[in-house]
Amino acid sequence: MKLSSLLRGSALLLAPVIALAALTGCSTGSSASSGSSGSDAGSSGGAAAASGEWSYTDDTGKTVTLDHRPEAVASYADYAIGLLSYGIDPVAIFGRVDVATDERFAPYDISGAAIVGNSYGEIDLEALAATAPDLIVTGIYPTDREGTLDLAGPLYGLADAEQQAQLEKIAPVVAIMVGGKGLDVINSMNRLAESLGASADTVAAAKTKYDAAAADLTAAAAENPIEITQMYADADGLYVTKTADEPETELYASLGVTFTNKNPDGYYYWDIYSWENAAQVMSGDVLLLNVEGFQKDDLLAQPTFASDKALQAGQLHPWNQAALDYASQASHMTELASIIRASKKL
Amino acid sequence: MMARPSTLSSARPAAPRPSAERTPRTQRTQRTPRTRHAQRPLVLAGLAAAVLAITFVSLMLGSNLIGPGAVLTGLFDPAQDAGSVVWGSRVPRTVLGLLVGVCLGVAGAVMQGQTRNPLADPGLFGVSAGASFAVVIGVYVLGTSSVLGTLWLALAGATVASVVVFAVAALGRGLSSPVPLAIAGTAVSALLVALTSFLVLSDETTLAAYRIWVVGSLSGRSLNGVDAALLFAAVGLVFAAANIRSLNTLALGTELASGLGESLLRARLTGLAAITLLTAAAVAISGPIGFVGLTAPHIARRFVGGDHHWLLPASGLVGACVLLVCDVIGRMIGGNAEVSVGVVLTVFGGIVFISIVRRGKMATL
Repeated sequence: MKLSSLLRGSALLLAPVIALAALTGCSTGSSASSGSSGSDAGSSGGAAAASGEWSYTDDTGKTVTLDHRPEAVASYADYAIGLLSYGIDPVAIFGRVDVATDERFAPYDISGAAIVGNSYGEIDLEALAATAPDLIVTGIYPTDREGTLDLAGPLYGLADAEQQAQLEKIAPVVAIMVGGKGLDVINSMNRLAESLGASADTVAAAKTKYDAAAADLTAAAAENPIEITQMYADADGLYVTKTADEPETELYASLGVTFTNKNPDGYYYWDIYSWENAAQVMSGDVLLLNVEGFQKDDLLAQPTFASDKALQAGQLHPWNQAALDYASQASHMTELASIIRASKKL
Repeated sequence: MMARPSTLSSARPAAPRPSAERTPRTQRTQRTPRTRHAQRPLVLAGLAAAVLAITFVSLMLGSNLIGPGAVLTGLFDPAQDAGSVVWGSRVPRTVLGLLVGVCLGVAGAVMQGQTRNPLADPGLFGVSAGASFAVVIGVYVLGTSSVLGTLWLALAGATVASVVVFAVAALGRGLSSPVPLAIAGTAVSALLVALTSFLVLSDETTLAAYRIWVVGSLSGRSLNGVDAALLFAAVGLVFAAANIRSLNTLALGTELASGLGESLLRARLTGLAAITLLTAAAVAISGPIGFVGLTAPHIARRFVGGDHHWLLPASGLVGACVLLVCDVIGRMIGGNAEVSVGVVLTVFGGIVFISIVRRGKMATL
């Protein structure tokens, strides 16, 4: 009696699970068909098929082979900026913040691109599929200093493995690894762009500007050898990126810029200080403050940090994460060089 | 499909009710009222001493491991307070921790007395949900995530939500029973939580700010500008004190309470005001902190029994102790960083609450 009622109960509990599974099956089936019909339209519409097979191996070691070079590319915002700098206009862009107001897109015209996501992991799959991309570009961050990649988990910018599977049904996904040396990340971006049709001349022209900006940054750092603290802060405390773990600071440090880096070993990426321990990181002459979290007034309201010399001297600058490509980095380095020249050693 | 709810409800543990095995203990308690009564001032004094002790510990210990000598020097001579660690961090978070703990402890006791439900939490009437929603609106619309801006928004949101809950309940079946209030509170909370989730999920910046706030922390707060929260707390404590007699009569049941000449409306209004003001003050200062409001009254009840004259102050003192102890633990286990008191409380509070339930000493109210 008891067993049978238990069985009936569990069978009833199972029913909705099975129904749900069937529904999911339906929805994946339908999105798969819409995805394939989308790419069919792409290949039949373009004459690219004549140019032959296209193959690309991304930073995770995954090789994507298509019967033609991708014409329609969808991309996560940071890599879309890199593609745009080489004249490759993405058909769809998804970002971590609102793409329309993301200042990093200011130099480019993205009116032709569908914006299919403005928040991390929130991607409008139907809108993305409607743009019929041949390829989707996103990134992957290593989980440690040695560059270990968690290939079981979702790629950067994606909510979970399930969403990644949905994306894969729309178009193959390739990832750029954002870790280790900054120049390696830029080169990975270049390799993808060239594979997607950017000419060697375009890349060389971008490199010339980049090299000039890099040389200027090195000169500025030599003229005025000050210490720069790149940080994020909130009510819980103060976060300083470990110079070697963030590709951008690694790049600038390799060009001669000195960053606050009290504890390069230990946990990956962030060095975290409670407000009681803020004094440990008050050695910087310039603060590059992340545009998110606490801003200047909030820092001044923290008694344990208010006396910071850079904060008191007004040498604080809001700092946004730049994309890792020649053009973005050239302008970011020029900005940093002018900050360094305009700052005093305290 | 029809059988599902009944299958589930039969699996649920039976609702607490006076059972046969509980009766002897109740009789034993009743047999020795004089001894318990005599011990109460002593117990309260003991709790006060414990609060003083943990206050001292809270000033001495932190993620910055400065010696006790340096702390005492800094404490008595702020000019010698190196890096403002004592006056800039330890003192404010100790004072605010005491305040939040007392508020939540007392609010929890009033809430459990008002609803006669041992599982009632001070957030039951929508106060925490209202505060959360206001904070999220603040980040989303005004872009403010500063500690002070958040405090004001939380106070406003908590008050508005509570008034709405009260109005909904009053328009409906009235206030003689706490059930309409609890239902209205749950409904309004659910709506606010849904709206909060919507905003948080549609904007990464809001999510980031909300995530930090919602954990519940005493870090990065200063005593400047918390006057409003202090006022809320003070007035809330006055209302709670004024509600004590009613809480004792309400414990006999609403019908008996009316029979004894208790004005139910006044009793409910006073209680609701106390709960709202106290919880709003606590939430505004630290973010929504769970378990203190729920567990402090249970611990206090074991020390002083169910008379609210003793239970309210005891709950406040226990709440202050629990909150500060958890905050100190959080400060010490994070290395250079810290673990938020909200996280520590979730871990320890959960264990403590389970042990309370397991020992079967939860009072039936």
